[in-house]
Amino acid sequence: MIAVVSQKELGAFDESLASALSESRSEPRWLRDIRLDSYGKFKELPTERNPLYTKYASTFGFDISGVGVSPVPAKIDFRSFFQGYLTGKERNILLQGNETQVHAELDDDLASKGVMLLSMEEALRKDERLVRSLFEQRLARPESDKFVAFVGAFFNCGTVVYVPRGVAVDRPLRRMFLLDGPKSGVIDQTFVCAEEGSKVVFLEELYSKGPAASSMVASTVEVRARPYAQVDLSSIQLLDEQALHVSNRAVETLADAKATVSSLELGAAVSRSRTNFLLNGRGSLAEGFEIFFTDAKQRYDFETNLFHNSPDSTGSTQARGVLKGESQSIFKGMIKIVNAAKNSRSYLAHHAMLLERTAKSDAIPGLEIDNNEVKATHSASVAQIDEEQLFYLMARGLSLDETKRMVVLGFFEPVLSRVPIEQTREGARFMIEGKWDGVKRRLVDRETLLAEEGETTPEVRQTEDIFERHYKYR
Amino acid sequence: MKLEIKDLHASVEGKEILKGVDLSIGQGEAHALMGPNGSGKSTLAYTLMGHPKYQVTSGDVLIGGESIIKLTPDKRVKKGLFLAFQYPVSVQGVSMFSFLRAAYNNSRPPGTEPPTIFEFREEVAAKLKMLSMDETFLNRYLNEGFSGGEKKRAEILQMALMRPKFAVLDETDSGLDIDALRIVAEGINKVSGPDTGSLLITHYQRILKYVKPQFVHVMHQGRIIQSGGEELSRLLEEKGYSWITGYKEEEAAQQPA
Repeated sequence: MIAVVSQKELGAFDESLASALSESRSEPRWLRDIRLDSYGKFKELPTERNPLYTKYASTFGFDISGVGVSPVPAKIDFRSFFQGYLTGKERNILLQGNETQVHAELDDDLASKGVMLLSMEEALRKDERLVRSLFEQRLARPESDKFVAFVGAFFNCGTVVYVPRGVAVDRPLRRMFLLDGPKSGVIDQTFVCAEEGSKVVFLEELYSKGPAASSMVASTVEVRARPYAQVDLSSIQLLDEQALHVSNRAVETLADAKATVSSLELGAAVSRSRTNFLLNGRGSLAEGFEIFFTDAKQRYDFETNLFHNSPDSTGSTQARGVLKGESQSIFKGMIKIVNAAKNSRSYLAHHAMLLERTAKSDAIPGLEIDNNEVKATHSASVAQIDEEQLFYLMARGLSLDETKRMVVLGFFEPVLSRVPIEQTREGARFMIEGKWDGVKRRLVDRETLLAEEGETTPEVRQTEDIFERHYKYR
Repeated sequence: MKLEIKDLHASVEGKEILKGVDLSIGQGEAHALMGPNGSGKSTLAYTLMGHPKYQVTSGDVLIGGESIIKLTPDKRVKKGLFLAFQYPVSVQGVSMFSFLRAAYNNSRPPGTEPPTIFEFREEVAAKLKMLSMDETFLNRYLNEGFSGGEKKRAEILQMALMRPKFAVLDETDSGLDIDALRIVAEGINKVSGPDTGSLLITHYQRILKYVKPQFVHVMHQGRIIQSGGEELSRLLEEKGYSWITGYKEEEAAQQPA
């Protein structure tokens, strides 16, 4: 077991940095206290360990003390900075260029309904009470996770998405992180709050412009879906192969609310991600869709848990990944159903395909169930590519390369085709194909291509109820 | 042009299954290959298509005089060979439509412009109609959750689109009820034009009521031990394989070792 981060390596990440970040942003005192409290928890918590992380090179796989998190963000010229990453017509988007945030205007109709897509600083100026309540009732607890505490102490950016009661936002709200150059550090504390009966799609993208040695994106995203609300979150990560990605998500669904998290992970040297679904309301629904494709020496460490705390709740998480080269992944998942959560259904699946003998993947699913009147099941598999499939397709004239491409891209489909956000679903296909072909593609490239050519193959989507197929525990 | 199999020996995991198969199929000819279980019929089919588990130890397979035994399966397709699988493999996430399109484009003569997606769709629609298949079929994953009859029809659909010079049909009749058998058999007849040479592998005579072979061969213990016309299949149906295999074994026993 190798340590994720040791105290020695933290270098500049100390109490004075936490204070300085707060001061330079003229934050209210309560927020400064939250930072310091988080820092305290961060210091107390033991080093996180994982068998996947590189030997000797420690922790994050690089020297975290080299990550540049300065108290005052440097100014960038965002037009040239984001050139090629945007069509230029985007609205309703928050851009994060290294530590500098730029906010694209919300459409008037959304703004007039009280919808917010704000940077943390703006949000504090506009509605400090709201931000304070979000911080004070944090779902991702700093005492429970070293990186939640880390982000709580040192965040240098953040986003607040707020959708008032009954408002349905009919176009995605977006944000994009773009790292440029080595030693850039983005530490992000984000809240998404959908009030009763509201609806919103939040789409985030993470990219690097070039080599990003000693760069890091560390993020905590909290999602609150209040009664009858619906939140679809999607995250696309294509950071440079030298960067570190750390993410924590806590997603709460109250009565009859629905939340989905779709994630596509393709980049970074190490990506360590935790998602906790908190099904705290009767009849609520939470779904996770995780797609990853690794090569070379990438290390992915994912954990997704479903906490059923209320009756009639339905949760599922499905992960599918393909591993090439010497890459490795580990997937942990736990279904916890408390005694009060009668009639809940839960499903956890992880399937990985190894393209080379040097690639490795592990799945550790678990169940903790305190009520007999529930349906919970998990399935996991790690397998090499099927030789009989290869032969069959080659017997139809496809070359070995084409055959592998088809089988691999098809392997993602049972999960990918369920991703509820069209932009993410189609974009993920496009980006995965790109990675297979050795080309870095972004969502914007697909939009540009779509504008050029009209020919598309019809899409096949899975709609069958997963609970109809899996019923190991009832 | 001919598909020629010359003294073909092949083994699986070190065990010799084919022990000298000789067979010649001309374009436009329909051959049936019959024989009891374990006689090596399916091994012959896989070996012809180039399954990596089946090792040719000696002998040769030629198409138009050129040896194909060193070629990968996709290259054999380009020489005009097709295999309808006894057990078609399912592939999750690959839609029938995109699969058929890839198969179609990969079996066209080199240098020809592939059809547009609209032209291809029309072409497939016509073939589907011919095989009494619904268009929704195209939106399903390749062979995933297909019934036995659907799988076999899908194989014939692929053959119809790929237009091979030589088609090996490995027990295409197995697992079909009588209606499905008729549809599949009619499909084979429609698809096999005057340029197609076919080798229909079967246990039973029943499909031969619909697909009329000019030549019937009987395989036993890795060799073709008897060849004849259509009447041979009827004799086999009446008298059983032991009629030939027993006779041959007797004959072999009489020969000095």
